[in-house]
Amino acid sequence: MTQTEAMAWIAQVFEMTPDQLTPDTHRENVAAWDSLGALTLMASLDSDFGIVLTDDDIQTVKTVGDLLDVMRRHGKLV
Amino acid sequence: MRFILVDKILELEPGKRITATKVLPASEELFRDHFPGFPVVPGVLLTEMMAQAAGRCLDAEGTHPGRAMLGKINGASFHEWVKPDQAILLHATITQNRSTYATADCFAEVAGKKVCSAGLFFVFAPHEQFASGYQDEILLAYWKANPGKQPKAI
Repeated sequence: MTQTEAMAWIAQVFEMTPDQLTPDTHRENVAAWDSLGALTLMASLDSDFGIVLTDDDIQTVKTVGDLLDVMRRHGKLV
Repeated sequence: MRFILVDKILELEPGKRITATKVLPASEELFRDHFPGFPVVPGVLLTEMMAQAAGRCLDAEGTHPGRAMLGKINGASFHEWVKPDQAILLHATITQNRSTYATADCFAEVAGKKVCSAGLFFVFAPHEQFASGYQDEILLAYWKANPGKQPKAI
């Protein structure tokens, strides 16, 4: 998956359009990235990519760029 | 009207799948408004029925840090009208089952015909938030009728 495709996937998880996000976008600036949104993100990473994160893992993901790093570390982003 | 939207559990594999039933009698006051002269079960109640069935499937496992609560409706479709007094069969299959969240694919059928379906997302509310000694009467009735199927954790 390319970064552009990953950004589109992240936008879809948070019910946004890709042009509303950049790697610097902080979770505090994403309305749907609240506690429920974080769980939705965990479920989507699991179902779509087989990436299983713990509660502690997800707390360290504070920006879209952090999320891209997670996907990169799991080999889902080139 | 009480908000117990599952009458009876028919089949249960805790944490995996459940089949349950519900009938909304024509005497329910809501049918005066939904709709006058054309009473049908509201889609939101059908969704809640599926959610309550799926939630009980998760709660029956007894391994989560709280009680399953509907967090999100990922998608829902309504295919047929459901009339008062019709027996509604509720099916839920748990598709993701983690300690902090779960997802379920659900559908309801009447007389062998699928009437609605939904993908549901669950979170878990701590047991301490509920009334002390609270126990689910529908699950208790199932365990009473099927004592050999009750997990030891319950």
